[in-house]
Amino acid sequence: MTAAARPARSLAAQERRFALALLAPALVVLLLTTTAPLVYLAWTSLNRIDLAMPWLSGFAGVDNYAKMGSDPRFWNSLLLTAVYTASTVVLQVILGLSLALLVLQIPRGQGALRIAAILPIVLAPVVVGLFWRTLVLAPDFGLVDMTTRALGLGSHNWLGDPQLALISVIAIHTWQWTPFAFLVLLASLATLPPDVYEAARLDRASAWQRFVHITLPLLRPAIVMVVILRTMTALSAFAAIFAATGGGPGSATEILNLYAYRTSFTELNLGYGSSLAVVLLAITLAISFLMFRLRRAR
Amino acid sequence: MRTATTAAARRRTRNLVLAAIAGVGVAVWVFPVLWGLLTSFKTERDVLAYPPAVFFTPTLANYREVLFGASSILPNLWSSFVVATAATALTMLFAIPAAYALGRLRYPYKRASGFYVLVTQMLPPVGLIIPYYLVLQKIGALDTYVGLAVIYLTFALPFAIWLMVSYFEDVPLEMEEAALLDRAGRMRALWHVILPQVRGGIAVTTIFVFLNAWNEFLFAVVLGGNRVRTVTVAMFNFISVEQTQWAKVAAGAMLAMLPVILIGIFAQRHIVKGLTVGAVKGGGRR
Amino acid sequence: MTAAARGSVRLEGVVKRHGTTTVLHGVDLAIEPGEFFVLLGPSGSGKTTTLRILAGLEDVSAGRVLMDGEEVTHAEPGERDVAMVFQSYALYPHMTVAGNVGFPLKMVGTDAATIERAVQEAAAKVGIGHLLARTPGQLSGGQQQRCALARAIVRQPRLFLLDEPLSNLDAKLRLETRLELHALQRALGATTVYVTHDQEEAMTLADRIAVFMDGRIVQVGTPRDVYARPQSVAVAGFIGTPPMNLLPARWEGDALVVDGQRLPAPSRAPVPRDVTLGIRPGHVTTATQGVAAHVERVEDLGDASIVTFVAGEHRIKQKSERAATVREGDTVALAFATDSLHLFDRATGARL
Ligand SMILES: Nc1ncnc2c1ncn2[C@@H]1O[C@H](COP(=O)(O)OP(=O)(O)OP(=O)(O)O)[C@@H](O)[C@H]1O
Ligand SMILES: [Mg+2]
Repeated sequence: MTAAARPARSLAAQERRFALALLAPALVVLLLTTTAPLVYLAWTSLNRIDLAMPWLSGFAGVDNYAKMGSDPRFWNSLLLTAVYTASTVVLQVILGLSLALLVLQIPRGQGALRIAAILPIVLAPVVVGLFWRTLVLAPDFGLVDMTTRALGLGSHNWLGDPQLALISVIAIHTWQWTPFAFLVLLASLATLPPDVYEAARLDRASAWQRFVHITLPLLRPAIVMVVILRTMTALSAFAAIFAATGGGPGSATEILNLYAYRTSFTELNLGYGSSLAVVLLAITLAISFLMFRLRRAR
Repeated sequence: MRTATTAAARRRTRNLVLAAIAGVGVAVWVFPVLWGLLTSFKTERDVLAYPPAVFFTPTLANYREVLFGASSILPNLWSSFVVATAATALTMLFAIPAAYALGRLRYPYKRASGFYVLVTQMLPPVGLIIPYYLVLQKIGALDTYVGLAVIYLTFALPFAIWLMVSYFEDVPLEMEEAALLDRAGRMRALWHVILPQVRGGIAVTTIFVFLNAWNEFLFAVVLGGNRVRTVTVAMFNFISVEQTQWAKVAAGAMLAMLPVILIGIFAQRHIVKGLTVGAVKGGGRR
Repeated sequence: MTAAARGSVRLEGVVKRHGTTTVLHGVDLAIEPGEFFVLLGPSGSGKTTTLRILAGLEDVSAGRVLMDGEEVTHAEPGERDVAMVFQSYALYPHMTVAGNVGFPLKMVGTDAATIERAVQEAAAKVGIGHLLARTPGQLSGGQQQRCALARAIVRQPRLFLLDEPLSNLDAKLRLETRLELHALQRALGATTVYVTHDQEEAMTLADRIAVFMDGRIVQVGTPRDVYARPQSVAVAGFIGTPPMNLLPARWEGDALVVDGQRLPAPSRAPVPRDVTLGIRPGHVTTATQGVAAHVERVEDLGDASIVTFVAGEHRIKQKSERAATVREGDTVALAFATDSLHLFDRATGARL
């Protein structure tokens, strides 16, 4: 008997119809809210749309993309994006993992730690940025400056100096999201089988050997996942930097996100902004594909 | 005997050192927020005291000003509440059925559709904001609740679907089969048998979607306006205007973040679960 | 169709494929109303698949399923009026026992009072009447099993399907439940299809057994039948603990030649041929003359003993109800009662 000869009301067919009925609304919504805008974005990136000079609008071909090559601000933003993403992810994983390993050794009080760790995660990035800009990093009266002054290290303009500003926004991001890495890795550590460690101990492996040969390999899937998720967050970071420095001073903290935003909504050059956004999307998708490939290869 | 005591003592010192290091870590996370809380009860004079005033006469003036003063954030809290609630409800409405299909049913192009959802989850918001702005402007939906709530589906829906999928996958496969044999039919099997078993997951997902919607800034600042101004946007505007009024800023921030902080504390277990489920299951990929 | 005849089941040429692998190669089966029918076979032989096809949980790739003479091949599970007890029980964890048992009735809109009465009755039948307010998580394994059973019997379906329902119970409980299950089935008189790979279960419960091997039914019959007259070497080697001894032999005239030893054959060979000789361990005796063997191992089970002999390059097991009289290392001669020999074709494995 062939599939065609079978009545359509067989169990599999009915399951298929039910599945599509349940899935279709969400897929339509996603199509409308993500894919259609992408197509539209691709189109606007090929146009000159300058709300400051609307009379110049029109099809521009790949002009916007060609312009990027000779745009130092673009290359700067690309470099900053790389620095920002790499440094925050590495810091989060290292700090999160170290803290998780430490905390695992503490017999009590893990609950309190978990609450403390939740706190930064639930805060709005924009509020975090504002907080740091005022209470924490402000010259003279911010927490950090008061500390450095008390320690005799003098006062610094943490967000006003280009180099310090970059370090500051990296610190802000790391502050807010390290708890994520910490909590996830702590949970993964807690699920590692204790008998493996006992066996290793019987084999006279030192604490460091146990870490390198047992903990790390067992933890690798979780670490890889944390790296992927943290990279995604870093690549779409916006609000905290926007609130803390607005991309400045000058363009010292202007990662690609902020450059695309400023071009579009401060300078009102939506055409060029769109092409920057397309580049951002392409980079993000490329990196995530690479990472998932990597993860599957493992 | 002696070796035993020294071993115990060594263990105690070790624990103390560990606890101290962990304590520092925690302090780094908690202190800025606590400091903000303290500041919100200070007068602007106390804020600028050096060395910082730890003991001061607390005042509620900042809260009074932020809540009932000229630039009250009450309307903004309301805006945030409406947008976040609507977006959460919409998201769950679409996400639960889709996640059920993706997690448990057999249908053609299942891998492809799952992959599509995964990809949409990775789009950075800045990449999408320009078309949203242009389209909403064209259809006159800028600065409307509907516009913003629907746009929030962009980031909330893929995330919610994948989180829910991992919960659906944990329900034993025989559950539907038993329900089908009990003559429940597909729909009632889902409603009476499966959904009650993923209540925890629905709670976690709802909390996450609400948190993300409440905290959202970029879409709110670009697509909102005078009518729909969420509390995150209000905070941002506030600081641009009142540069130096830190106590007021702190009070505003505390109010703006009160809902999420409360959720964070009371739904702590759920949140940790949500974070780890998503991470360990890898965005829901099988 | 009269009420008494309700519950007949037929499978006609049922084929099941998963992609390129075929897991059922044309299964034919006829089950009588009220029969306790057991599907027995080694792991992976297709028992569960067959059961799920009966339940409607699995589509067939070819063939037909009939119940009470009506074709139900593509009917949904809910339309077939069958109840199933899953190996994992599949109890709804968020409902009480009463909720679980009453669920099949609730789904067809039975009124609350009737449901309650039926639930009480079904629960009482399986002895969990006092547990109705608990949730499955608060039940022991045996109680969960009974709850699943109650959920199946509450609506008086025409067919019960049970997939290794006892496999998650401990040995003692398994024996008790087995007896109760049998009594329950007799009391209800409902057709029951029962999957197991435990032949003792099959032997004690079944009216008839279908033996599955590699996606085919290799024998259908009463337990006695299957035990006494296995239709193939495969069945012979599967049934019995320990299973039948199988030795290569040559059948010439009225003698069987095993390892150069001539034994009397049950009948005359039309032509000399190679056969496989089967002999149940219970039918092996030691004698003054016969197949020479030495004792390799003696296992004393308390109420019985199993002796492993080595004859030439073959191992032969003997089972007896008394303590073994031989000791490891002894050399003995083995005799087989002529009328308890089974002969199978060497090449095809079919019974001769
Ligand atoms: N979805 C599937 N895809 C591919 N092969 C399958 C699938 N389901 C079952 N099979 C195969 O079909 C064969 C029969 O499986 P079935 O579950 O019916 O065996 P069984 O007799 O119940 O065994 P057991 O005693 O171990 O439960 C097995 O070889 C199994 O690997
Ligand atoms: Mg099976």
